[in-house]
Parts: sequence; structure tokens; C-alpha cells
Amino acid sequence: MSSAVESEGVVLGGLPEAELLTAPARPPGAIVRGVAQRILGLLFVVALLLFMVGPIVWLGLRAFSGLWQYPRFLPATWTLNGWHQVFHDPNLSRSMRLSFEFAPVVTVLSAVICLPAAYAFSRYKFPGRRFLLISLFATNAFPKIGLYISMAGVFYSLNLMGTFLGVVIVQLIGTIVFMTWIPAAAFSAIPRSLEEAARDVGAGPLRVFFRVTFPLAAPAIFVAMILSFLASFDEAQGTFLVGIPNYITMPTEMYTLVLNYPEQVAAVFSILLALPSVVLMSLARKHVMGGRLAEGFQLR
Amino acid sequence: MVFPPVAVIAVFIGFPVVAAIAYTLGRAGGPNSVVASLGQRQFIVHHGVTVGAYRDILGNATIHRDLWATVWVTIVTTIVVVAVSWSIALYLRLADSRLARIVSALSVIPLFIPVVIASYAILIFYSSDGFLKTVAYHLGFHGFPTLGYTLTCVTLGEIWVNIPFGVLMMSSGLNGVPNNLIEAARDSGASMPRVVRSILLPMNVIPTVIVATFTGIYVLGSFTVPYLTGPTAPNLLGPAMSNFFSAFNQPQQAEVLAIVVFVLALGIGAAYVWANVRTGKRAGATT
Repeated sequence: MSSAVESEGVVLGGLPEAELLTAPARPPGAIVRGVAQRILGLLFVVALLLFMVGPIVWLGLRAFSGLWQYPRFLPATWTLNGWHQVFHDPNLSRSMRLSFEFAPVVTVLSAVICLPAAYAFSRYKFPGRRFLLISLFATNAFPKIGLYISMAGVFYSLNLMGTFLGVVIVQLIGTIVFMTWIPAAAFSAIPRSLEEAARDVGAGPLRVFFRVTFPLAAPAIFVAMILSFLASFDEAQGTFLVGIPNYITMPTEMYTLVLNYPEQVAAVFSILLALPSVVLMSLARKHVMGGRLAEGFQLR
Repeated sequence: MVFPPVAVIAVFIGFPVVAAIAYTLGRAGGPNSVVASLGQRQFIVHHGVTVGAYRDILGNATIHRDLWATVWVTIVTTIVVVAVSWSIALYLRLADSRLARIVSALSVIPLFIPVVIASYAILIFYSSDGFLKTVAYHLGFHGFPTLGYTLTCVTLGEIWVNIPFGVLMMSSGLNGVPNNLIEAARDSGASMPRVVRSILLPMNVIPTVIVATFTGIYVLGSFTVPYLTGPTAPNLLGPAMSNFFSAFNQPQQAEVLAIVVFVLALGIGAAYVWANVRTGKRAGATT
């Protein structure tokens, strides 16, 4: 990941200058103002670049650094020791395995629970629909850590503290909104006339759903599943509270790693932990940027 | 069909929140019995309620400082996120250059990075041997302050994490403003600042409110960013809650803090609902 971001940084850093040189000619009065605006714009982009990408690149360098003394901009020696250590530490490999167990379980469970509801919310008008939609959405309006603390208190009585199911439930809570709202919007976007046409030529309701409705909504469902997978994979605070000491996933391992391991090891582990996010979010990118995620935040 | 997710929310959010309220008011029966049997320094009554736990925690000087730290970091983060995402979204709406596309790509980078990683990266970027100090050193500022493990670092981290959502929401709102509306105003002699003030600003109120509320609630409920990048004390209420729950074994005090944060969020949430009701009415009027 780091090399991708680094090379991106180089490309991005090179572009603005090139553009400044090729700026089209304008009347003399406007040129001064135009250049001033360009310089301001450039400064803004450079500041944004440093603020947004700087920390990630800096972390990426750590993963390969041997000796790195302040105030040098680059390490004096380079090494792959950190990588070796991460793959040979039993605790760290166990947490990687656990993360890849929880995330699929949570994603599938969330899909099973939420997709029928998403369909119902988009296709049927029933009493209390709006109230239920808002109460589902209200899960987003609870400050996360407060919610986890309240859940943990009750989890003792339900025998869920330190259990696999307890962690699954904590992570599931964070996926419900994605899994309901994004597919619901997709179902709503499918014209009813398509389904009716299929019914008219004799298809049963199940067949209509699986041959017409589902294939059309599939891309959005896929995006919802990616977002849920990542929400579960990256969830740290609730898992930390409920899963400890039996279930320490990759993000929760980071809390200890930062304090107790050499910096390179934490940096290497960070890169490994960020990989699934970078890959999966790139797949879902178009949908998320397209503004549909933003639209999902407006209650209808 | 809608029963399963609603049931999950009711059982694992609604019920624990109600139980937490009862527990903080001194009721240790039912679902709270196990946690109450483990906790220390509790204020328990068998009839009626007691505000002992609230008095205990709200009279704690450390918590006072944490509370103020939380309020300040929340306010500053919210203002900066709204301002920065407004500027970026506005720039993206009005400019269509390669620079604009770069800005757009930069502003969503945090979506791709888990919060734990981001917090760690931000901590070492601003730490005593981090990039910022290194740059300052080479520019001759040898006594430049270290931001790592300060509330400033927490605020920078919270801003970093919340920018993509802000930009996506604001852009979505601004893209909803038709081009011909802007052109018509320009044609009749309105300057660009005037267009922004009289057309774009009023038409983007709802996304602005949504960004502000969600950023505020996010900061109130955050744990990872302040835990990894912040000072030991005073820090935000998130790490404080976790300390009371696990390290100090005082779950009742932890849950009091949770309720305090809920109440703060409730105020913010009310603004959000109000904004949505307004949109609903407007949509109802136009369609």
C-alpha cells in the first residue's frame, strides 16, 4: 500500500507545476489575478496533500527503516526486519486469522438479516415504516463508545463478554445501516413495471425476484457487502471492549502493538491491516463517490 | 421482513441503553446484576433511584477537564470540517480542472484507511521525531512544539477522519444545484461571491447541518483517535469511559459518562432530525 501511495504522491506533486506552465493566455489585467489564484490554489493543494497523504507516507517509510535519526527526512538504513517479525509472531498471525474469520461471518449475517428488510422498506408501504426507518438510522446517532459501554454492561448478564458471538454482535451493529439503506435505495430504483411485465408473462413472485429484481440490485448489494466487510474488519473500539482477552483482531492488536512493539513492526502491521481496505474500497469507489452514500444520509 | 434488523437494534441497542440508564440511577437488578456484582464504588438502591453515581463522576475534577476537552475538540473539529469540506466542495463544483480532480482524490483518501492506522500514522507524523518537527528543524525552528500526544493532535486526527464524509455530503448537495440557475445569476450581473452567498449557501443548508451533526456525534463517540494520539489527561470522554470500565473497574461511572455523552449527542441529533423534517417538507412540496 505504501508504495502505491508514495508513487501517487510523486505523481500528484508533479502535476500542478505542469499545469501552471500550460495555463492559457489571458488579457494582461486578468493574468496577474489568475496567477495569484493559481498560486493560492497550489498552496492549498500542497497543504492538503501534506495533511492527507503525509502521515500515510511517513508511516510507510517506517515499515522499511532500519536506523532513522531525527532530524533526517529519510532513514539512514533500510531493512525488512519488521516484516519478518510480523509473520513470525504467533500473536500477530492469530489476530490476522481472527480478523478474516469475523468479517465474513458478520457480513453474511448482516446480509441475511437486512436484505429482506431493505426490500420491504422499498416496496411496501406499511404502518410505522417511517418510524422504523428512523429508528434503524438512529443507531448512527449514538456516540459509538458510549453505546459499546452500555452494551458491554448488559453483555455480562447475557454471557456474551469475551465470546465469539459477542464480538459478532458488536460488529454487526455497525453494518446494519449500510446493509439496509444502500440496497433499499437500489430496490427503489428498479421500475415496478419491469417486475409487472415479468408477472404478466407468467413468472411467479420468487422467480420475478431472482430473475429480475435481484440481478438489477446486485451491484448495490455488493457495495453494501463490501462496506459491511470493512466496517467489521476495521472495527476496533467495540471489539476491544467485548472481545478481550479471547478475541483480539488485527485492529485491536494495534492498540497493544503501538505501545509494546518496535515502531517498524507496528508500521508493517498497519500496512497489512490497511490492504483489504484499500483493495475493497477501490472496488466500491465509484458507488461511494457517486453521491449515493451521501443521499442515504437524508431520511425519506 | 423488517422484523430482524429492528429486533437486533431493539435488543442490542435499545435494551442496553435502557438498562444503562437504570444502572446509573442505582438499579442493579435484572440485566445489570452481573456487571453490578463485579464493579466497585457503586451507588445502589433497591427502591426509587439515586443520583450518587452522577454526583460522584460529575464532581470529579479530572472528569471536568475531560468534559471540557471533549466539548472543545468537538466544536473545533466540527467547525474546521464544515469549513474545509465547504471550501473543497465549492471548489470542485465551480472548477473543472486537473487540479480539482486531484483535490477531489486527496479529500477521500481517509475512506481507504482504517481509523486505527490513521491514528497511528498521524501520531508519528506529528511526534517529537515526526515529519512536522523535522521540517521545522530544517527551517530553523529548533524549539517547535511537539504535537503528538496533545489535544491538538487529537483534533487534527478527528479532522482527518471526518473530511471525506464532509466533502462527499457537501459535493452531493452542491451538485444538486442546477447549472442554469448559476448561469442565470451570472448573466444578470451577480459576482461569484454573490452567487455563492445567495444561491449555493441557502441551497446547501441541509447537507451542512448533516455534516456538522455527524461530525460532532462522531467526535463525541470516538475512542481510537484520542486513545492513540491524545495525552493521558485531560483527554476525551471516550478513553475516560473505557478506563473507568476496564482499568478502574467502575462500570457504573463508565455508564454515567456514556449517558452524559448521549445527552450531548441528543442536542446535536435534534438539529439533524429538524433538518431532515425540513427536507421532507420541501420534497413533499415540490414533487
